[in-house]
Amino acid sequence: MLLPPTDRSILARRDAIVAALKAIVPDGVVADPSGLATFDADALSAYHQMPLVCVLPSTRDEVGAILKYAEAEGIPIVPRGAGTSLSGGALPREDGILIGMGRMKRILEIDYENGCVVVEPGVTNMNITRAVEAQGFYYAPDPSSQIACTIGGNVAENSGGLHCLKYGLTTNNLLGVTMVLPGGETVTLGGKSGAQGGLDLLGLVTGSEGLLGVVVEVIVKILRKAPVTRTLMASFDTVPAAGRCVAQIIAGGVVPAAMEFMDRPAAEAIEAFNQPGYPAGAEAILIIDVDGVEADVSHNMGRVIQIVADCGGRTVEATDEKQRARIWSGRKAAFAAMGRIAPDMICMDGTIPRHALPQVLEEMAGLSEKYGLGFCNVFHAGDGNLHPLILFDVMKEGEFERAEAFGADILRLCVKVGGVLTGEHGVGIEKRDLMTDMFSEADLEQQHRVKCAFDSGGLFNPGKVFPTLSVCIEQGHIHAHGGKLPHPHLPRY
Amino acid sequence: MRADCEAQVIEAVRAARADRTPVEIVAGGTRRSVGRPMLNENGQALAQLDVSGLSGIRKYEPEELIVTAGPATPLAEIVGTLAARNQRLGFDPADWSRLLGSNGVATLGGALSADASGSGRLRHGSARDSLLGFHAVNGLGEVFRGGSRVVKNVTGFDLPKLMCGAFGTLAVLTEVTFRVYPRPTHSVTLCLKDIDAANGLAALRSIAHSALEPAGLAYLPAGWLPDIGQGAALIRLEGAPQPLEEKVTMAHGLLGHAHAARVEDGIDLFARIGSGALFADIEGDIWRLQVAPADAPRVANDLNAPRWLGDWAGGAIWLAAPPADAARIRSIAAAAKGQAMLLRAAPRQRASLGLFAPQPPVLADLTRRVKAAFDPLSLFNPNRF
Repeated sequence: MLLPPTDRSILARRDAIVAALKAIVPDGVVADPSGLATFDADALSAYHQMPLVCVLPSTRDEVGAILKYAEAEGIPIVPRGAGTSLSGGALPREDGILIGMGRMKRILEIDYENGCVVVEPGVTNMNITRAVEAQGFYYAPDPSSQIACTIGGNVAENSGGLHCLKYGLTTNNLLGVTMVLPGGETVTLGGKSGAQGGLDLLGLVTGSEGLLGVVVEVIVKILRKAPVTRTLMASFDTVPAAGRCVAQIIAGGVVPAAMEFMDRPAAEAIEAFNQPGYPAGAEAILIIDVDGVEADVSHNMGRVIQIVADCGGRTVEATDEKQRARIWSGRKAAFAAMGRIAPDMICMDGTIPRHALPQVLEEMAGLSEKYGLGFCNVFHAGDGNLHPLILFDVMKEGEFERAEAFGADILRLCVKVGGVLTGEHGVGIEKRDLMTDMFSEADLEQQHRVKCAFDSGGLFNPGKVFPTLSVCIEQGHIHAHGGKLPHPHLPRY
Repeated sequence: MRADCEAQVIEAVRAARADRTPVEIVAGGTRRSVGRPMLNENGQALAQLDVSGLSGIRKYEPEELIVTAGPATPLAEIVGTLAARNQRLGFDPADWSRLLGSNGVATLGGALSADASGSGRLRHGSARDSLLGFHAVNGLGEVFRGGSRVVKNVTGFDLPKLMCGAFGTLAVLTEVTFRVYPRPTHSVTLCLKDIDAANGLAALRSIAHSALEPAGLAYLPAGWLPDIGQGAALIRLEGAPQPLEEKVTMAHGLLGHAHAARVEDGIDLFARIGSGALFADIEGDIWRLQVAPADAPRVANDLNAPRWLGDWAGGAIWLAAPPADAARIRSIAAAAKGQAMLLRAAPRQRASLGLFAPQPPVLADLTRRVKAAFDPLSLFNPNRF
């Protein structure tokens, strides 16, 4: 992985930089090696790098002062929320200030009348829901890391989740942000009305992976929790039958709250892991949530069951909350279950047109043979977001490199069939060098000019998202060995 | 100047660039009178770049709920094609041509560029939530693409969002890909009559914050419809017949069992609300304010306009006002932290007021830099907003 070269002159000024940051945030500067080690990677743990220094502001004024100072001194900035990114978006730089937003975690206002909540960026996704659930509301985007990931990070990554099929990604659930731009000035984009009175910069900033500024306040929509959710498990003898079923459900006018696909290797590993009751011998399993008011749910679930039957599938509907939870517990344990069958794995994140699923699965099987590595598939089937899990053993010479090459080929395959490199994990450093497989030079230059409109000095998260010519940095491969991922308490699905 | 294909758009833009002559991008021409009149340095009308030939549905995959089309495709063609497969556009495109007195043909690209969403925006979001990807020619005369042809995508910057609501000031769209939605088989419009604005809008918010997934929530004060007393709260619900009846019952429950009668022509009524067509024959400037919905009763009261209505459960307030009221309207919107869009006015009024209020300086500078990142010579629809 090539990253822009370290600026040695910045390293030489480290003491002065630490002192300057302490003047801005007296109790929020981490400069000792053991403290910094906490921040040397995000959840893409194969890559790590100690930051020059880490600063933990508590106010937007502090953020402004830090960014003003960094720009004046020409020091790179890497923003970080909870560090749960799976694409290396928060990987520090040796010559850069890591700005951790975790201390800005106040919920500023809950406005039920307008169906929105105003928060600081360090509030976790789950804590927004917790703050409003007693009144029957919730915040819809639900990335698997939701108990830890912050809303600021969600804005940066345009996070999705199991239920974005019906409720949209972060971008569809945001009303406004206030952000500090490179150089320290502050802009507010949108607000409770959602209106911006100009270009949709809110839409642009969402999912910009820390390249355009630091978000210091976020206004999200909250929704009334659906009174009824029912869960169906459907099993199929062939993958194409399951694929056909997904297409017919969507085309048939039903928008399930979630629709998840698992192939046989995934289902078998999961069944061995926590026995959610997945039927033996099925080549594909779908888990489908339908939510809403009782009348709609009954009607839609009836249609889903009919479509599954027409496609040759067998159904089991959860009869109570306990069984619902059990069915979902398997899907949500997919990553952990893989730890039983291989010491290491990487999770890919491409999106494909749904109709391409059988072709993509077949070609992936060919790639698996080519690279001599096993894999299995979990898949947000409703919106075509694939999560192939590539299994390997990092202790075996060359397997990590082969796994990465296998993953890259899968993503190229996604692009070839009309899809994209990433549906929800972001480009970060992980997929940066594949951007040229999806975008032309003119496409990337256009995006890069947009970046420069915000960050003319190129100081924000350099080396992420856009391929750049540069020298190689030192890096080791820390592995998620024996299932020990960073943030081991987080479920990943 | 006509450009009927992408290659001709490139040629036209390169010519404009070489001569440094800005152009007005036109297809159906229905929204030309929105925003500042586009004039050159000498105050003359700009040369037009007519892209109406970039029309037609290029790929429609009903099972993927995805359509790719030329941006100049008439909205009516898209709507009709989708309806034949029981699908529809999610953003309920608002055709402003009656409001603006245009004889043109509203196009998809025009609706996207204006982020023109109707009453149905409540359900599936606005135009910017539906546009997935596009091809366009920037001010350098280069083709570029943004986004993709799949619903779930976070690869690179979300440029499709930026193209929506840019009113053609960034690039010339040559192809657009957007998501579509299943079209419910039935809908019902309920009308709660003789209710004042504060109570009517509160009733609409209670439906908005329910799980009923309403497709339209509008308040019409006295005068818009016969026999509505102080005003009417209109509620549009959708679904299959039997669940729909149950939702109607639930809605009545949320309304405190006040009787809401069914309106026969609800779909047409909401189309006239969402497109501003109700204001077509009303004198004065026409504004659309976006505010936080709960602020709508107070804002409406402050505006004190003889003709107004509230769409999107109060989130959008339409009103007619004499030109002299402009500053007052803008200041009421600003005080409510909302936006007041001047949708219809005489050219001189539009030239002096712009489409939106001036942005704070830091944001205005940022907007200019973003615009320049696409169109450094300001060739496209210059100064439109």
